[in-house]
Amino acid sequence: MALISHIIRNTSIKSLEEKFLCLSLQSLNNTQIREKQVAPQPRLRNPTWLTKKNRVIHDDFVTQENREFISEIVQDKYENNTNKNTLPNTVEWTPNMRRTGVIAKKIGVLPLWLNNGKKIQTTLLQVLDNHVIRYYTPEEYESPRERAIKVKNKAPCIIMGAEAVNPTLFTKEYCGLFKDSGVMPKKYLARFFVSSEAALPLGTPVSALHYSVGNYVDVRGKTKYWGFQGVMKRHGFKGMPASHGVTKTHRRGGNIGGGGEKGRVWPGTKMPGHMGNRYRITKGLKIWRINTKYNVLWVSGCAVPGETNSIVYIYDTILPLRKPTKPLPFPTYFDINNQDVPEDIYDDSVHKFDDLTLTFE
Amino acid sequence: MLLKTKIPSLTTRVIQFNSNFHTSTTRLEIQKMTRLRVVDNSEIGKRAMAEGKPPKCIHVYNKTGVGKIGDKVLVAIKGEKKKGILVGLKQNQQPKVPKFDSNNLVLIDDNGTPLGTRIHVPIPTILRTILKEKTFSKGADYTKLLAIATRFV
Amino acid sequence: MIVSTISRRCILRKQTSGILRVSSIRQLTSNTKSTKENIPTKFSLAEYRHVYPEFIPDPNVEFRNPIREKLERLDMLSRRAHIDIPEFYVGSILAVTSMDKHSPNKTNKFVGICIKREGCGLRAKFILRNVIDHQGVEVLYEMYDPVLSKIEVLRLEKRLDDELFYLRDALPEYSTFDSNMEPEIHPEGAPIPINPIKVKLKPRPWLERWERKDLKGIEQIDLPERFFIRAKELATPWEKYDMMKQYMKTIPEEEQTEIFAEIQQQLQQLELTRKKLKRKRTFIKPVKLA
Repeated sequence: MALISHIIRNTSIKSLEEKFLCLSLQSLNNTQIREKQVAPQPRLRNPTWLTKKNRVIHDDFVTQENREFISEIVQDKYENNTNKNTLPNTVEWTPNMRRTGVIAKKIGVLPLWLNNGKKIQTTLLQVLDNHVIRYYTPEEYESPRERAIKVKNKAPCIIMGAEAVNPTLFTKEYCGLFKDSGVMPKKYLARFFVSSEAALPLGTPVSALHYSVGNYVDVRGKTKYWGFQGVMKRHGFKGMPASHGVTKTHRRGGNIGGGGEKGRVWPGTKMPGHMGNRYRITKGLKIWRINTKYNVLWVSGCAVPGETNSIVYIYDTILPLRKPTKPLPFPTYFDINNQDVPEDIYDDSVHKFDDLTLTFE
Repeated sequence: MLLKTKIPSLTTRVIQFNSNFHTSTTRLEIQKMTRLRVVDNSEIGKRAMAEGKPPKCIHVYNKTGVGKIGDKVLVAIKGEKKKGILVGLKQNQQPKVPKFDSNNLVLIDDNGTPLGTRIHVPIPTILRTILKEKTFSKGADYTKLLAIATRFV
Repeated sequence: MIVSTISRRCILRKQTSGILRVSSIRQLTSNTKSTKENIPTKFSLAEYRHVYPEFIPDPNVEFRNPIREKLERLDMLSRRAHIDIPEFYVGSILAVTSMDKHSPNKTNKFVGICIKREGCGLRAKFILRNVIDHQGVEVLYEMYDPVLSKIEVLRLEKRLDDELFYLRDALPEYSTFDSNMEPEIHPEGAPIPINPIKVKLKPRPWLERWERKDLKGIEQIDLPERFFIRAKELATPWEKYDMMKQYMKTIPEEEQTEIFAEIQQQLQQLELTRKKLKRKRTFIKPVKLA
């Protein structure tokens, strides 16, 4: 088994990758290469593990009976594999260790009240059915991005998958990615760098209890796409007066540079262009509350990038002053002997909705 | 008879006054040139209001230049410069903080002692906390204002 | 098919102005799946949307998510177990008691007429207005704020309009209410009375141009003809026939009943406890004054 997977990994996927990379980059390589930009356009860099995902669905005229039969097969195939959960060697967590992140869905913004009577806004992030799909040692992993500066202390990484869907919708190659872990093919994949102690066996589920209340997280998401926008909306320029002889320049940026020796547009000049649709990280968001039944985190603020119902990635924070003080569940939370976890876990300073009316002394 | 003729003339005068002067009705902010209403029984305040010449804010003692509840302002009243504290605003407030139909002012001197002896409109309770905080940070004692209030909301 | 659903929603929208409690609807609800014994209920499933409007989620498609809405509803119910949030409408007179860390006895009571009710879910809020010592005062309260300890309806009634912001420009006697007002008894099951009072406005300047708002609760305004000509120019009388607009603004009836069927049992339980409390309250002996 291991041998086969090894061969697959080294031959077929590799060759496919190269083909796809060629396909995707060929059209882009035709563009004229100019001077180096300060903020370069994000180029299409497919991760090395990615293959063609969605199958072209033809009308196969399959009868209802056969359709049911296929879904039965799918169920049988993946049901037995789900309980492949073995406990890894538990290592004590130390502050310099990095755990895996999770894939979540932004599901809305709600207020919470603190015990001092203050109202705060929180964003709700639903942790999806995350499973470990693949583990790369630093030697195995090849970055899709060629860096000028070579990374020294290379870290291993974990590929996480979320939201299992009907595998008949995917291509064979894509379903092949999930062969080792034995989980149902997932709609979303993400790569998380971890420290070598935080390695997880394939197929391990990760829930919202991976995080604990009172700690801080960073959330990465794709911002809302506003399309091609002017300078006032995109960069918050003031525009120009509405009257006093101003003609046809009410929302324009004005001058973009001087003449003479500096007679060109300097790199990084703020001008109209595409707004949003970029990955952005909001750092240092506190977890106020966790719902274990629906796997939901209440995270401070309403500035999590992306629309409601969009996919976000949650990491332990990198801000040095907001690192956790108490040991975290490491490498992730394991449900040993079916522990009784309360449905709602609150931070100490949050007023629970079940509590009595607040009083002040 | 005399009274009857006088009162309507007074009211019309005030209305004319409001419509002639530009006030930012949408944001209802207190800034320089905003007309305020004196709500204590100090002599100068009473006379100014009776004459239909309410005081005009000529400075707000904070960094934004927009007066919020409990802020100290400098007003021009009857040709004099007096200081006062904003005790009620027209502007939209935080939840549970009352919003009033007029911009209310209580005149004080430099030590924070009010010029009048009674405030004849309700005062928001949040002023207790705000004025106490301001008293510690600045030299003057503003909490004397709370003592002359008749009712809190 | 689509047209029929849209028109149905529009009818729903129109019904909001006047509610009729029909016993036949009540029978319908008793037939729906209630696992335990049939608890006698005050409201039918169709009426819940008037009584508890904040349980209907925001119809904006961009903000909708079933799990978030469910969690929000659970939180609202668990808060309602500790504070009795009664049925009230814009135009009702309320007394709100809240814990106030600024006042010496740490509580604060405010009586006033509800001039606005908005927001859905945990964000629901309302504005009360009163005139105290000849000074108009307004306070905004959040319905699910844990600091509120008691919400009491002193007079349950409606006005002719959905918002009463024009009271700010009306004569003060129209928004003056006694702060020691006794609650008036509203017989259970009786229709909500609509107060047909017409308010007299002060002369201009106003905060808004009321002549353009198509208000029913104000007296004839004494203004030059040009104001009304301009108001007529700017009026959009066709908007009430704009089915698509109504469709975007409302949540379909099927979804509403689904939501209320889910929380019906808890709401009925809350109603029962409220009834019990009310009965208890009536038996309290009056305190003798020296």
